[in-house]
Amino acid sequence: MTNRSSLRLMLLILSATFAFLYIPISVLFALSFNASGLPTAWTGFSTHWYAALITNSDILSAALNTLVVAATSTLSATLLGTLLAIGVEIRRRKGHFLETLIFAPMIIPDIVLAIALLSFFSMLDLRMGLHTIIISHTVFNLAFVCAVVRARLKNFDWSIVEASTDLGATTSVTLRRVIFPVLMPAVASGALLAFTLSIDEFIIAYFTAGPGRDSITLPMQIFSMIRFGVTPEINALAVLVMTLSVVALAISQRLNRGRLPGQ
Amino acid sequence: MTRPLLSLANIEKRFGELRAVNGVTLDIHENEFFALLGASGSGKTTLLRMLAGFEIPSSGSILLDGRDISQVPPNHRPVNLMFQSYALFPHMSVAQNIAYGLEMERLPRSEINQRVDEMLSTIQLAHLAERKPHQLSGGQQQRVALGRALVKRPRLLLLDEPLGALDKKLRGEMQLELKHIQNTFGITFIVVTHDQEEALVMADRIAILKDGALLQCGSPRDIYEYPIDRFAADFIGIMNFLPSRVDAGALSAADGSRISAPLPGDLKSGDNVLAAVRPERLRLGAADADNCLSGQIRAMAYHGLDLHLHLDTSLSSQPLMVRLTADAAEGHPFAVGEKVTVGWSAQDTRVFTI
Repeated sequence: MTNRSSLRLMLLILSATFAFLYIPISVLFALSFNASGLPTAWTGFSTHWYAALITNSDILSAALNTLVVAATSTLSATLLGTLLAIGVEIRRRKGHFLETLIFAPMIIPDIVLAIALLSFFSMLDLRMGLHTIIISHTVFNLAFVCAVVRARLKNFDWSIVEASTDLGATTSVTLRRVIFPVLMPAVASGALLAFTLSIDEFIIAYFTAGPGRDSITLPMQIFSMIRFGVTPEINALAVLVMTLSVVALAISQRLNRGRLPGQ
Repeated sequence: MTRPLLSLANIEKRFGELRAVNGVTLDIHENEFFALLGASGSGKTTLLRMLAGFEIPSSGSILLDGRDISQVPPNHRPVNLMFQSYALFPHMSVAQNIAYGLEMERLPRSEINQRVDEMLSTIQLAHLAERKPHQLSGGQQQRVALGRALVKRPRLLLLDEPLGALDKKLRGEMQLELKHIQNTFGITFIVVTHDQEEALVMADRIAILKDGALLQCGSPRDIYEYPIDRFAADFIGIMNFLPSRVDAGALSAADGSRISAPLPGDLKSGDNVLAAVRPERLRLGAADADNCLSGQIRAMAYHGLDLHLHLDTSLSSQPLMVRLTADAAEGHPFAVGEKVTVGWSAQDTRVFTI
């Protein structure tokens, strides 16, 4: 095989792979702007499916629930995950046992974690609702935030912590004025990742939600809607959710790629 | 005699089985520029970290102004450390870095600003006050680190290998500048270094540490001219060692020739010793000198200021090093393989037991 034809073959495989990845999403995207809303024929550009979303109170309340869950679990997971990462890195020499424990929620299949959390909440006799979803999302988000922050801590110059103490700072002042500001890009990146994960998480939310409409999140709402067929509204909703996730993830990766100030 | 500023009594630090610092007793006086000199693993950094408060001695006491500070945490000691890596806060500007320590003292803003401005002009970085550390050169970062520690006006300023990361020329300039700043501020400096030349140039007094213990303490001149043992003699500067034997009040070298030297009283005939002489004490020709030997030039190194000759002699298997000033070497077109005669006086000879 000549060089030229092998290059052609590679280009072919590359385009096929990207087509496989992006054609379904493109179709979804296109259909959400299709006036007829039917997957069979293009009848002209329209945004009225997006307008229809805004008037659908079920979707709006589910969206609000999702935002509440994502924001709250992101906040608590970011705080706890960052502190955990700092604590673990300081005592890294203690071995890998702790490390495995921290990563477990990332590796355990969602369905297993979902069942485990459900059994745990039932055992505690906890009333299920939005708050149990928030707690559950905090569990796996914490692991992701911790992983992102720890990656940044690997090349953290710990001597600045000693310098801060040497200059008269207490531990909490050092944390607030030196450690957090320097870790900020990683913390923000971890938080955005957590937010993204929480927004489209279905299985765990489904298992740990309470009865009734009060704790229905957006993915759960979409799931219940498609049982009666894919409506054009769902296409529009899916495009919005996807856009939000992609933007958050892009910012997260950008922050994480950015170098530490001073390095 | 006035009370020393800092008094270390029998300081010991053990890490498990390892004795990093082993019974160091030392007094350091007000306004002194003191150097802790040692190879890596000599315990000098551990000692410094105990002074800063980052390590607590296993036993012994550290008295600062008569008060035992060995258990006092670093943020409550009137002691500041300039870190080897500088440890500047990367997210703060030069001015913010310097102000940090003063803010911890909760001083009024106006006083902080005034002292920061003064320090910026002392370290000649007023024009870069708003820069971040990563926008500065190594030498500038070093001065920020110095300024940040100095602005707190500590009783004691500790400097961990302060010039280690600088290139040679800049290091020479900074040695003098550090000395000048120490003089101006009247603050006691303790510098940790493995660079003997740096210690000799900067310090009023030097302590040589070896295996966690204090080997010798004295002025640079004492340390250089009267090293306490073979290790100290070898560690500081260059020394020629000539294996010899004590023989009726004088020394008999390997080839049987006699070396006259002032002998320590506790040596008796038959003892094996090392006679030692610094390269710059050897003179060309010098047939009238107390000691005289001839050798063949094995190698030469021209340093501008002086010329180093390495001679093969019958006195030692090691080449003998001779350091001639430009003046003394003037008019001698030395060549490798040439035979030369050198001499030195008895009082420039040191004698060490093996």
